[in-house]
Amino acid sequence: MISVNNPYLPYPVRIADIVVDSPDKSLRTFKFEFLDPEDETRFEYLPGQFAELSVPGQGEIPIGIASSPTEKGYVLFTVNRVGQVSSYLHNMRVGDVMGVRGPLGHPYPVRDLKGRNIVVIASGFAVTTLRATVAWLLHPDNRPNYGRITFVYGARSPGHLLFREDWEAWQKRDDIDVYVAIYKMVPGWTGKVGFVPAVLQEICPPAENTAAIICGPPIAIKTTQPVLFEAGYKPDNIIMSLENRMKCGLGICGRCNVGPEYVCKDGPVFTLAQLNELPPEY
Amino acid sequence: MGNLDDLTQKIREKAKSLLKSGQVEVVIGYRAGTVPLVAAPFFARSPEDCDNLIWSSFARLNLANYLPNRAGKVALVAKGCDARSAVGQVTENQFPRENLYLLGVPCAGLIDPARVAAKEPRPIQSATESDEAITITGAGFSQEIKKAEVLRRNCQTCAHRTPTVSNELTGPETPNAPPDDFSDLKDLLAKTPAERLAYFKDLIKDCLRCYACRNACPLCYCPICFVDETRPQWLGKSTDPMDTMTFHLLRGLHCAGRCTACGTCETACPVNIKVREFNRVLDKSVQENWAYEPGLTWDQKPPLTIYQPNDPADFIK
Amino acid sequence: MSDYLVSEKTLAGFFTALATGRRLLAPQGQGDDCRLAETTGPVSLDYANTHLSPKGVFFPQTEKILAFHKLADKPKANQYQDLGDQAQPTVIFGLRPCDARGLTVSNRVFQNDRFTDPYWKGKYESAIKIGLACLNPSPQCFCAAMGGSPFGEMGLDVLAYPKDQGLGLKALTPAGEEILKKAQAEPADLAADMAALEKKAIQSQGSLDDYATINERKIMELYKADHWAKTAEPCLGCGVCTFFCPTCHCFDIQDEQNEVGGVRMRNWDTCMSPLFTLHGSGHNPRPSKVERVRQRFMHKLKYIPLKQDGVRGCTGCGRCVVMCPANIDIRSVAAVMAQASA
Repeated sequence: MISVNNPYLPYPVRIADIVVDSPDKSLRTFKFEFLDPEDETRFEYLPGQFAELSVPGQGEIPIGIASSPTEKGYVLFTVNRVGQVSSYLHNMRVGDVMGVRGPLGHPYPVRDLKGRNIVVIASGFAVTTLRATVAWLLHPDNRPNYGRITFVYGARSPGHLLFREDWEAWQKRDDIDVYVAIYKMVPGWTGKVGFVPAVLQEICPPAENTAAIICGPPIAIKTTQPVLFEAGYKPDNIIMSLENRMKCGLGICGRCNVGPEYVCKDGPVFTLAQLNELPPEY
Repeated sequence: MGNLDDLTQKIREKAKSLLKSGQVEVVIGYRAGTVPLVAAPFFARSPEDCDNLIWSSFARLNLANYLPNRAGKVALVAKGCDARSAVGQVTENQFPRENLYLLGVPCAGLIDPARVAAKEPRPIQSATESDEAITITGAGFSQEIKKAEVLRRNCQTCAHRTPTVSNELTGPETPNAPPDDFSDLKDLLAKTPAERLAYFKDLIKDCLRCYACRNACPLCYCPICFVDETRPQWLGKSTDPMDTMTFHLLRGLHCAGRCTACGTCETACPVNIKVREFNRVLDKSVQENWAYEPGLTWDQKPPLTIYQPNDPADFIK
Repeated sequence: MSDYLVSEKTLAGFFTALATGRRLLAPQGQGDDCRLAETTGPVSLDYANTHLSPKGVFFPQTEKILAFHKLADKPKANQYQDLGDQAQPTVIFGLRPCDARGLTVSNRVFQNDRFTDPYWKGKYESAIKIGLACLNPSPQCFCAAMGGSPFGEMGLDVLAYPKDQGLGLKALTPAGEEILKKAQAEPADLAADMAALEKKAIQSQGSLDDYATINERKIMELYKADHWAKTAEPCLGCGVCTFFCPTCHCFDIQDEQNEVGGVRMRNWDTCMSPLFTLHGSGHNPRPSKVERVRQRFMHKLKYIPLKQDGVRGCTGCGRCVVMCPANIDIRSVAAVMAQASA
């Protein structure tokens, strides 16, 4: 968990590796190692949680944790270059020291979903926490507790698909159905082509005893919902992760609220049933 | 019936006819405030709405502030300084002239609540006004104060109380204040630069960086103000005195040659900073250097926004 | 808990005793100049309320919370260190009941169901809070309409009121009782006196709406009501309401640095600014002042009561009513919310 005495104080980390993820270099995945190994124990998390990446002198950005707690010795974060902090972070080097503050938010309710089928739906680089979720579900300690697992993932081009090694390995397994798509055909591509909702429509698992976990940009989340409704999914069983501008991550600084709920403290994971009762301010 | 009532009646009649005829979609004027000594902005869209419109010497907020980025045809209830601001916005391409109907109000100067409070510090429950005086009432007291004694400082030197440009005036022209000789700045301008800096530091010592002065100002229409820019970030966000001073200096300079001395910045300031002191020094400079006063005609441009090849200053070449 | 009296003769000594061993903060100055400031007494009881709310005592407008250095040859380079809560032993005399109640609202945010803010907690919990009841509420006051009272006790250790040129005092917590005993206040029985004065003070606020239907309505019913564009139209987006509100607690976190190191600080922020919610992508969930104004009033009158057992985020202190340059009056907005249909 986050530091009990001071939840504003980041754990010091060293950048252990940086992978450039997209052809336009707008995405980089950072691998961090905790300077104090005990901090790794304190940083106990589950898939779906996020942390504030804390760059000295620049500020903090909330980023979903892309690694699974079943992967030891490091934490992974994929960062899109959009603002001041992320741009600076993109220019940092392996070996640099910075901070990670978290874990924050609630995880996907994987523990409550035991005994059920799960369909994981990812669009664009929002795949990060879902990559963590699938990695966690497939771990030998966890896999027996769940029924059928389906992973649907789409991105603009083959170059924009993250974590290729992971999903290529998953494709070879027989305990998960993997559908990876690009939005527009390019030569050499052998997978599916189309936007995520269209791919989902084609392969959507039956709704019975199944929960859907969705993460992606607002437009993808919006267009995926009708497909799930049509397949018989109830709002209670559609689980989503929201993003809003955040600072403290603790439900105090006030900006990320959706109605009375703070995305940072009470989310970022909500069911569609919950969101249906709240203002669409995300 | 006094002049105030006549102005109110005229505003209502004209607003109704403008809305009924479809000449405008909204009339932006004032309604009675819910607290004493305040007239509040009001947006009349139907003839029935118009019965809420009033004219009052408490109408301190400059309504031209509501023009930029507004679609559709608008009638603006405008005293002299507000009309000049609206004209300035048209000349600065912030509002199309064809969408603007200026309902000009000959103004007799507005009341400064701080000067009222200086005369009567007890909490005021209600305030009424006649043409010459206001009457304030509180727990166990009622007092009449001559308006001339509690006018805002900018109203005391206003040379354009009656709008110089308008589609229609709601009443007879009002006498202007005596010519402005900027005598109130004499002490300040006699100071050394160091003393002057100390003066301005003291002036803004209570600033909260809320930017109400900016938000209330009809000149401040930048999509992103320099204080809010993050890439690059020009200014810290704390109450650091240097950052606060930088904001006030840049705000003042940005308004040089454009400010119509409407005083809405001081009206909005919640900690009673005489924000206009910065502008007033610049007003004097602009008038002396370019004999220029903003917003008096449709075709003039603020001197600091134009460049001519024969500019006598050589730093710019 | 018991009641106490401090006579006119012993009043100066009472304040000296309060200020012994800790700092005493009390309102000083009149009107717009009235502010909480350090003193050893005497304390004037003749003020309406402080111009700014007292929240800045526990939540300064700018507060440095962490620091780091960048000197690679020294240990812990680029690692943030805690600067501590900067709390000092404090007694505040003269909090108005509306403000004390407002501080409890912020307290439940800063110490919420999951996290504790150490900077707030250190200062808030170490301060002894002595309220001063309002015998003559100001014209803009409406605490009773918002569920409070001119003699409200919430968030206070002691409630005092002016009595016979001295003070009547009611201890509300053990800490309050202790400080009164140490200051040698005389035991008394003031219940009847206080009840009568409270009734009179509430009556002076006139017949007040209780806005109860807001509590009954669902979030989306209030949210979708058709008045918000009209309600928000005069708003200048300046955020003065939020700066002056005793329960507005939102802040921004910023780093500032030089060649050798830097600090992380937090600064008051305002939901009236479009930047408050602007995503890095350019998307803004509250893109116009209509959404922002709605957020502010929904937060005060619906969201906070939902999360805080019915206690509203507005305590009726009246500051925003007086300060709003566009005269957007929360009483009028609450009345519209209580009536408006979707």
